[in-house]
Amino acid sequence: MTAAGGALIAIEAVAKRYVTSSGPVDALDDVSLSVAEGEFCTLIGPSGCGKSTLLGMLGGLVTPDRGRLLVAGEPVTGPDPRRVATVFQDAGLFPWRTALENVEFGLELQGVPAERRRRTATELLGPLGLRGFGERYPRELSGGMKQRVAIGRALAIDARILLMDEPFGALDEQTRVLMGEWLLDIWRRTRKTVIFVTHSLHEALFLSTRVAVMTARPGRIKSVLELAMEYPRSMESPEMVALRAKLWSEIREESLRAMK
Amino acid sequence: MKVAVLRLALLVVLLAAWELAGRAANPLLAVPPSAVLPSLRDLLLLRSYPGLPASLWLTVQEIGVAYALAVAAGLGCGFALGMNRLLGRAWGPMIAALYAVPAVVWYPSLMLFFGLGAASKIAFGFLLGFFPITLAVLAGVRQVNPQLVLVARAYGAGVVTVFFRVMLPSMLFTLVGGLRTGLALSVIGVIVGEILGSKNGMGALINHAYGLLRTGDYVALVLVTLLLVVGSDVLASLLEHRARRWSD
Amino acid sequence: MRRIALALQLATVLAGLALWELAARAGWVDPLFIPAPSAVARALAAISGPALAGLGDTLAKTAAAYVLSVVLGVSAGLAVGSVRLLRDVLSPYVIALYGMPKILVLPWIVLLLGYGTAPAVFYGTLHGLFPILVLVTGAVRDVDRTLVTVARSLGATPWQLYWKVLLPAIVPSVLAGMRLGIVFCLLGVLVVEMFAGVRGMGYMMGSLANGFQAPELFAATALVSATSIAIVLGLDQLNERLSRWRG
Repeated sequence: MTAAGGALIAIEAVAKRYVTSSGPVDALDDVSLSVAEGEFCTLIGPSGCGKSTLLGMLGGLVTPDRGRLLVAGEPVTGPDPRRVATVFQDAGLFPWRTALENVEFGLELQGVPAERRRRTATELLGPLGLRGFGERYPRELSGGMKQRVAIGRALAIDARILLMDEPFGALDEQTRVLMGEWLLDIWRRTRKTVIFVTHSLHEALFLSTRVAVMTARPGRIKSVLELAMEYPRSMESPEMVALRAKLWSEIREESLRAMK
Repeated sequence: MKVAVLRLALLVVLLAAWELAGRAANPLLAVPPSAVLPSLRDLLLLRSYPGLPASLWLTVQEIGVAYALAVAAGLGCGFALGMNRLLGRAWGPMIAALYAVPAVVWYPSLMLFFGLGAASKIAFGFLLGFFPITLAVLAGVRQVNPQLVLVARAYGAGVVTVFFRVMLPSMLFTLVGGLRTGLALSVIGVIVGEILGSKNGMGALINHAYGLLRTGDYVALVLVTLLLVVGSDVLASLLEHRARRWSD
Repeated sequence: MRRIALALQLATVLAGLALWELAARAGWVDPLFIPAPSAVARALAAISGPALAGLGDTLAKTAAAYVLSVVLGVSAGLAVGSVRLLRDVLSPYVIALYGMPKILVLPWIVLLLGYGTAPAVFYGTLHGLFPILVLVTGAVRDVDRTLVTVARSLGATPWQLYWKVLLPAIVPSVLAGMRLGIVFCLLGVLVVEMFAGVRGMGYMMGSLANGFQAPELFAATALVSATSIAIVLGLDQLNERLSRWRG
């Protein structure tokens, strides 16, 4: 079920203000965006532009001061794991649970019987590239592996929407690139709607069907780029090079403003 | 601000509850704060226990001697074990194992050996204070960065210089923590020793008051003793701050 | 290095015992105050009946106090740790009570509860409660916030948050607290037995001291010490078994 216009996610004139010890801070101001089903939409912008806050709102963990967010036509009132799954920058794996038990966690919360969840989780290990690592504890896993477990945990509950808040931010360059390719493969197979927050232009251009550039604080949507190219994309094609330049000029302006 | 107010409120509520409970119950057993005040006054004016200053002084002396011995032995053993890797690895765990034994088991033996006088209290206070100090020194020496020692040696520093200029500052934090814990435990050791059997000192006075069911006096004596305990810890923390500033 | 250290430990113990035996026999120390190890061993055999009975009594009281300490300590720790206001208001009181020599209130407790088992269990609980409370409160306070956020985003109810996130996260601290707690409980029980007991090892050791029965006293002391070390070692093993994931 989608709202008028076929959008699965509708963000309408949303604003959020935080009260900090140094005074009130407007994180977001009049943000509007709509995302259709099956899209891979990236939010990119300078630090402090409110990307994580926006994601938090979609995930039901943060309430807007003004405006509203609609998922499948219904307003977001709290975490809804049937519809929305979130992956955070810190993998947040429970250290006392094995990789498999971590993947199962969301299903366990929903009361799915043990055998079924074990099966679902085990089946996911293959695509996650973690076959044979199911019984390992988080402290035995590398950074990239931990993030894959975290993503597996989000995939296991089979929500339509996947929110990802700089999931590869803590990884080194090479791992990031490989994880990006892997994520692309997963997305195309599972056909989820993804909202992806990143700082990386490479990731934005490589992965997304559209890129929303946010302004410096208070965050607004500055512009939206539609990317209709085929996957997998060549980052060297003239089209891509031009897009990259365009994207960079938009972001650069905002980054400079954020630095003042 | 809100927190401070609530803390004060809690204290007031507790005192009020104590007062009410005290008045309702058997006056011999429960002594409300209102009854403690006159006893405290009598005590401090030396009317109820004229021997108070002497007893207090004795207890303080016992603590002083016990602690001094604990520090000397603790520093000595701790450094010996810390500097010599083999000895440290052999005897360190044995000392730690003794920590798993409730110290009070040694007390009857100490009473048998030293009698009921001050000596057994000093011995017990020493025992209690010795272990945390030794273990802290041991841990402190272990955590000194060997690179720093190497660098100092490379610049021609002798053993004594290395000790005072490199090791001591590196481990000061752990050491002072251990010294402070040691003091707290020595104090407890002496007090426990006195209460479990002594003829003189604050513990003896407390037992005397309790034995005669003079509960008001008993509470007053406990308060004075508590003042001693808190005072020693405050002193220790002041010295700790001084030591910190000195090392920076 | 490790094996040499172990050998040295063994050698130290044996040499120490040998020296002690020699000193007692040669008369360097008064056997009335410091009996020879052989005399202690004989005494241990002689009093084994009443000693084991006394030990059983002490351990029973300790077990009761321990169960109470753990239950009260963990629940209070959970409550105080999770409510910020409670924690801030209560922490100076808790720290003060933790550091206070509780023996000062023992005469009053005995006055209220009499002699024997009740004051011992009460006082033992009082002693064992605080380290557990302090450790659990700290652990709850320090739970990784990300884990809570993750669980909430996956739709965890408050009950599920407690049961599946908070409790497992604080297990290491609970175990550390329990390890400290057992020694504290035993300590408390022994103190009461020495002060106002009619049974148990504390009472027994006090009587033996008064009767100048040094070999028997040393034997009893050794028995209690060995038991205590064994219990702590056992708990350490349990701790290790339950903490595989920590590495």
